[in-house]
Amino acid sequence: MVRKYVGRWGLIVALAALPIYYGVRDLVHGYQAGFVAGHPVVHHDLTQLGFNFATGLSNGAIWALIAIGYTLVYGIIELINFAHGDVFMIGSFTAVGLYSVFGLTSSTGAPGLVLGLLAVLLITMIVCGVLNTLIERVAYRPLRNAPKLAPLITAVGFSFILQNVGLLWRGGSPQSVPDLINQGKTVFHIFGVPIVRGYLLALGVMIPLVLVLGRFISTTRMGRAMRATAQDPEAARLMGINVNQTIALTFLLGGALAGAAGLVYALFETNIWYFQGFRAGLFAFTAAVMGGIGNVRGAVLGGLIIGVIQALADSRMGPQWTEAVVFAYLIMIMVLRPRGLLGEETREAG
Amino acid sequence: MSDADEKNEPSTRSVTVTEGEPGPSDWSEFRAQMREWREGVERVLPPWWSRALAATLIVIGIVLPFLFSADSGFLNATIIAVAYAVMSLGLNIVVGFAGLLDLGYVAFYALGAYTLGWFGSGFFYKAHLHVLVSPVASTLPGIHLNFLLILVAAAAICALAGMLIGLPTLRLRGDYIAIVTLAFGEIIGVVAVNGTSVHLGGGMTLTAGNLGISAVDSPYFPGIGLFNELDLRPWYWLIFGILLLVLFVNLRLRDSRLGRAWVALREDEVAAVSMGIPLVRTKLMAYSIGAAFGGMSGAFFGTYFTVVNASQFQFGFSIFILGMVIIGGLGSIWGAVAGGLLLGYINYYLIPDVLNSLPSKIGLNFQLTEIEFGIYGFLLVIMMILRPQGLIPERRRRLELTGRVSATDSELGEPSAISTLELAE
Amino acid sequence: MSATTVSPPEAAAMEVDHVVKAFGGLVAVNDVSLDIPRHAIISLIGPNGAGKTTLFNMLTGLYKPTSGRILFGEREITRTRPDIITKLGVARTFQNIRLFGAMTALENVIVGRHARMRTGVFGAILRPPWVRREEREVQERARELLKFVGLRENSFDRLASQLPYGDQRRVEIARALASEPSLLLLDEPTAGMNPYESEALAQFMRRMRDELNLTILLIEHDMKVVMGVSERVTVLDHGHKIAEGPPAEVRADPAVIEAYLGKQG
Repeated sequence: MVRKYVGRWGLIVALAALPIYYGVRDLVHGYQAGFVAGHPVVHHDLTQLGFNFATGLSNGAIWALIAIGYTLVYGIIELINFAHGDVFMIGSFTAVGLYSVFGLTSSTGAPGLVLGLLAVLLITMIVCGVLNTLIERVAYRPLRNAPKLAPLITAVGFSFILQNVGLLWRGGSPQSVPDLINQGKTVFHIFGVPIVRGYLLALGVMIPLVLVLGRFISTTRMGRAMRATAQDPEAARLMGINVNQTIALTFLLGGALAGAAGLVYALFETNIWYFQGFRAGLFAFTAAVMGGIGNVRGAVLGGLIIGVIQALADSRMGPQWTEAVVFAYLIMIMVLRPRGLLGEETREAG
Repeated sequence: MSDADEKNEPSTRSVTVTEGEPGPSDWSEFRAQMREWREGVERVLPPWWSRALAATLIVIGIVLPFLFSADSGFLNATIIAVAYAVMSLGLNIVVGFAGLLDLGYVAFYALGAYTLGWFGSGFFYKAHLHVLVSPVASTLPGIHLNFLLILVAAAAICALAGMLIGLPTLRLRGDYIAIVTLAFGEIIGVVAVNGTSVHLGGGMTLTAGNLGISAVDSPYFPGIGLFNELDLRPWYWLIFGILLLVLFVNLRLRDSRLGRAWVALREDEVAAVSMGIPLVRTKLMAYSIGAAFGGMSGAFFGTYFTVVNASQFQFGFSIFILGMVIIGGLGSIWGAVAGGLLLGYINYYLIPDVLNSLPSKIGLNFQLTEIEFGIYGFLLVIMMILRPQGLIPERRRRLELTGRVSATDSELGEPSAISTLELAE
Repeated sequence: MSATTVSPPEAAAMEVDHVVKAFGGLVAVNDVSLDIPRHAIISLIGPNGAGKTTLFNMLTGLYKPTSGRILFGEREITRTRPDIITKLGVARTFQNIRLFGAMTALENVIVGRHARMRTGVFGAILRPPWVRREEREVQERARELLKFVGLRENSFDRLASQLPYGDQRRVEIARALASEPSLLLLDEPTAGMNPYESEALAQFMRRMRDELNLTILLIEHDMKVVMGVSERVTVLDHGHKIAEGPPAEVRADPAVIEAYLGKQG
């Protein structure tokens, strides 16, 4: 009883603690915002915090796209698709590989760039969607009736295989990739916080995709099939829904979104690495769990929250601690409120 | 509430649980034939055959070093393989016996190795503590304890850490346990790397990050002398001795009240607690003991590699050990040993030394070590699909990888209900 | 870490006091009170979904009541852990048999004895003489129990999942008895049995009550068994207690008849 309220509010408090602490510290203590004539300039406002939020929400948009993939798959077959993060990585690699195919460089003019990138986006989404579906077909479907340990292991196995592919493709160190859209260029300011192209890109890709997905799930027949199968696969089967196809579709959609995230990541970070999928996967999974696994809105919310936490940790504590911070939050979620912020009990006891 | 969701038929299921596309019929016939042959052979052997086999293996194990030169590459690989087998036995308790999917086992490797780094080197140079160490080491600053003491310390520290890590997972279902333990493993990794900025006073830090704590002591026993890198034999006997100890403890535990309690919890948590098995205590024991063995092996690795370096502690290691347990046979003691030895050899001998140039021999442009990861991943996938019960299946487990039901309090709002409605899959 | 042996209190009665169990919006058990006198055989009946198993789950500690109290003898066990309740002397079987599939029949029963054993970690590793003796005794007791429930000896070492249905039921009962309970809860013990087997089980229940000094509470659908073996019958419907009394009285109660017939209508 008590635990329920402590759970949700405890989590919210823990989440809010970070930005509130730094916000207050900025206001009271001030922060250094550059130099003027050789002297450090100290500001006492929330601009830096706002900057953290802007970066955080944009990163978070990427995590949100990946998190949706996790949450959709888990919602429908109760499996953590361990290889999902690496599908995202393949998405980045594919997208970058396609730059040259379409002749996209940092000097390509705007209309050509936009068209080219849309084409890259489309192809990358298809490639990753298909890849994800393939993994389902080969690794998970044969083990549908085995207990959860088995497909989890094959998922890890596939994760390794994909990572090795990435390793062979572009080597072991992070690779710098062309900054096609000049992502760091400030477009406008909100309350003094510079909004750069990268932010707009991230949110500009995520929001439409999420909206389209939402409409798809709520209005189309296949979307209804997905929801039905997620609630009760046996009943869905009895209603004539082709469960296998529905699951494959779920993987397709999840993979496609991960692919989109891959392109956005490449454009935003201008840097790709065979190991990025593992890290992204864990962050995105934390996001999915934070929001409530099985819940798409929750995945988006979780993604944004994790993005902000990451931005705060990166800039205030140093990027070497970020992972530890995010994972500490993951553990906190599991202890305080495993079903996440927006989650409900799944598979009701009736 | 319906009574009709009964999937727990008492009928005999065939050896593999994997439904879905069956292989070609001659394949399953082949396997049925193999099973028959094996059972036939087992019937012919006298009842003490397994003890005799074990004794023979142990004798071979003891005698092995004499067959190789003192600094043989094969002996080196064997030492590492045996240390992996110890790790594998530890993880087998957590994942195999108790059914708790731990993906963060590298944490105990790290803690064990750091125990050695802290208490067996000049790292804490402000301290001066020497217990039963070599004459040379007793003149050096730092904490220098006899290796056996370090083993005990590593076991104790990891036992405690195991309990702490296990604590948040107690009420979670399988896949969530995996994620939480993974998260802990990663956190320990991050702390290992960044320990250089954690100051303990006197200029000393928690770890040496990626540079590593080097110049750790080698084991020294009065009467035997100091181990060195020229003669690998004493190292081998040391780790072999540790293996025998851990093996012994495992065998005793398996056939005891505690071992049965673990299997009961793994099979059906609800039924187990209803039979009087205390959930929390039993699970924590599994984490704890499993971790202790990992720590002991970790301490050994630390001293054998003569450096304790944060880059050694990555997630891939956890999966590596997990693979050993699974490929060997989840829950099976001899399987865990076999898996550890096998993968240790493949990773440290077969791939880098023997087969590394294979791809170039057939015209491909890379070394085998470059696709180690991929090979490993491939092995995992294949194992799960074709032979999930592993090489040496657990004696008790005819229905390999049987499903489990988790007893989570529905008031905590977790996805699975306790009642008779949700059953083993 | 050894478990201290707790001798079960003198076969205590159980008292259920205004117990409610709600799952979110669904109220499975709604203000049910009953008490179970010592050495009685009491049946709990009612249409499907009436809340009988939910009540069982609360009595054994698997669920915590939303409100109300449960007392075992003098001791309140409302929020007590299931394994402690077992140690106090309550044992149960399950509606859908929940044996440990990867263990033999004998091992299943031995596990049932967990709460009455004392061997801890160090005892397990070192195996001093008293531990060996305890193991031997437990094995013997388990064999006795399996014989008592009528399992053939050549089935003792068969994997539980490979036993025929009737034998599995027996093993489950033996496993429950292994913890030396004073109160035994049986959840639809005759499910899937033919009339002959059901009658045999009913007689066996009486035998258990008499020889082992037990109190028995059972959930049953088979009216013959209920009428034949119970001293008192409690009827639940939709989470409410709608009748209680000697079998003949309950059978004639119009509310009970309506509950059953109404469901079938």
